[in-house]
Amino acid sequence: MTTTLETGRPPRTPTATAPTWRGSSRLTQIRILTGRSLRALVTDPAVLLFGLLQPVITLVVLSQVFSRMGLPPHFPPDVTYLDFVLPAVLVDNAVQSAVQSGVGLVEDLQNGIVARLRCLPVAPSSLLVARSLTTLVRAAVQAVIILTLGTLVLGYDPRGGAGAVAASIGLTLFMSWALGWLFIAAAAWLRRAEPIQNLAIIAVLPLMFASSAYVPTADLPDWLAAVAHVNPLTYAIDSTRALALGLPGTGTAVPALLLGTAVAAIGAWLAVTGFRRPLTPR
Amino acid sequence: MTSPPTAADDDLVIEAVDVGMTFGTVRALDSVSLAVPRGSVLALLGHNGAGKTTLVGVLTTALAPTTGRASVAGFDVRRRPAEVRRRIGLTGQYATVDGRLSGRDNLLLLAGLLGAGRRAARTRADELLDLFDLGHVADRPARGYSGGLRRRLDLAASLVGRPEVVFLDEPTTGLDPVSRLGLWEIVEGLVAGGTTVLLTTQYLDEADRLADAITVLSGGSVVAHGTPAELKARVGRRTVTVVLDGPAGADSGGDRGSDFDRAADALRRAGLAPVTGREGAALVVPIEATRDIAAVVRALDGVGVEAAELTFGEPGLDDVYLALAHHPDSLHNLDNLDGPEGPKR
Repeated sequence: MTTTLETGRPPRTPTATAPTWRGSSRLTQIRILTGRSLRALVTDPAVLLFGLLQPVITLVVLSQVFSRMGLPPHFPPDVTYLDFVLPAVLVDNAVQSAVQSGVGLVEDLQNGIVARLRCLPVAPSSLLVARSLTTLVRAAVQAVIILTLGTLVLGYDPRGGAGAVAASIGLTLFMSWALGWLFIAAAAWLRRAEPIQNLAIIAVLPLMFASSAYVPTADLPDWLAAVAHVNPLTYAIDSTRALALGLPGTGTAVPALLLGTAVAAIGAWLAVTGFRRPLTPR
Repeated sequence: MTSPPTAADDDLVIEAVDVGMTFGTVRALDSVSLAVPRGSVLALLGHNGAGKTTLVGVLTTALAPTTGRASVAGFDVRRRPAEVRRRIGLTGQYATVDGRLSGRDNLLLLAGLLGAGRRAARTRADELLDLFDLGHVADRPARGYSGGLRRRLDLAASLVGRPEVVFLDEPTTGLDPVSRLGLWEIVEGLVAGGTTVLLTTQYLDEADRLADAITVLSGGSVVAHGTPAELKARVGRRTVTVVLDGPAGADSGGDRGSDFDRAADALRRAGLAPVTGREGAALVVPIEATRDIAAVVRALDGVGVEAAELTFGEPGLDDVYLALAHHPDSLHNLDNLDGPEGPKR
């Protein structure tokens, strides 16, 4: 019976019946999928609790412990350690959120939702964009927590003014979104949570310390200062801090934005190519 | 081949022509062709690694075939994947629902992605929850569902867009017998409603019960194709099994061996070819027609042997499966099985 099919019959006009629904627009897909992953963040009590606690703990521990050590020689004048470190905590938080977007995509890949989406009229990139937007929302909520706690309880004093503080938050969120693409790419290629978490520990943690996050770069040992100068996070931290505290150096926002854009573009490209590869059965 | 395409040809909903698929150096599919008419059920039968899931992957646009072409619902899977995806549903071997969402929210999510408005999505989700008897767990997170419930939700999820073709990849693997039966009934209901179904299975009874046609895959190739009855007729034999009375040598007035021998002799004289079965406790007599059953009874009666048990056996798909699916190069076994010892037709 199948042999009759091998002859070159002219292509048939599709006799298919119309589907019930025509599919949704890219925007609708992204909105629905973002809503879905945000809901997962909110409805899981453990995830929610850790998500809310993480920035609080980071801020309290860093500000309380390091402020006891005395300020190094190149510390900016008239700035408390809390003022100095809070913008860095915002950036650190942005980086942690970026890692989470990779972890979230791995979960999607493992719980079968990706397999389901593959045979639906849904663009693969919609899920990736949804993941990156989820990161953004998560990072924004955490930034608000950090700012509120820092200002109301710990005595954070951002002298840059409301507009500049908003700009500094915008900048960290942009960095979070951009870095998120790197971790989404890692997830799309590696498809397992462990290597991504390892990547976060062996790459991200040292990068935070080898930057201007906790100590001015001028007070770092020479070799570490050299690393800090080429570390993209230094630009993000410097510009966030300069904006919020009204310090000189807001110009570092330009390389920070350029670097972020480059990271996002490369990450998104890698993510899409990695995500396209076939799923292998577990 | 000069005849114009017939109406039946035009109503093929799934068509694969010489589909080949290579992963690195592994040849997962080798020139597989199949054709499934609208409203019918095709079972892909084969062991693990036979290529069933790969073929489903190609037909559901998840994998691009290395060679050949395939169309589903009238659209080429490689050139018009979006059109294909609007018209198919897939239930895979693993649950493809979001465990953190409730059953209802999973269905609403999919309806939204398919382009349903809020109200239409709600209506459809309610319909499916009702149809699959999931109402009582509809608002609980899916990760808490039992295996049977999750499979039902999974199937419901693949039906949200009222697909005209449904792919079921080993739909009952790992299900308990009751859930299995329930799933079969659901599939039968779908087919009654005009849906075309392609299912893969390792279970012969499943293929036998649900399928209009069966394609046996082995080592990535089609080794047999036909209706369940055709495949059985080609491979299997009908038999009458005669179990003789009592344990060996226990009877008074003669040992069982002579009973056994007299029965076997009588059957041979009747032109039948009995062989010893059930570890020497029974005679298995291949037969060609139902009248041979009477011949068996007459032969036993003629020598005064009372059978403890007389059973008639239809050939099973097991025979097809065992004969074909084990051996990647067993295409010729079909002929061999009808060889010397086979029934003469």
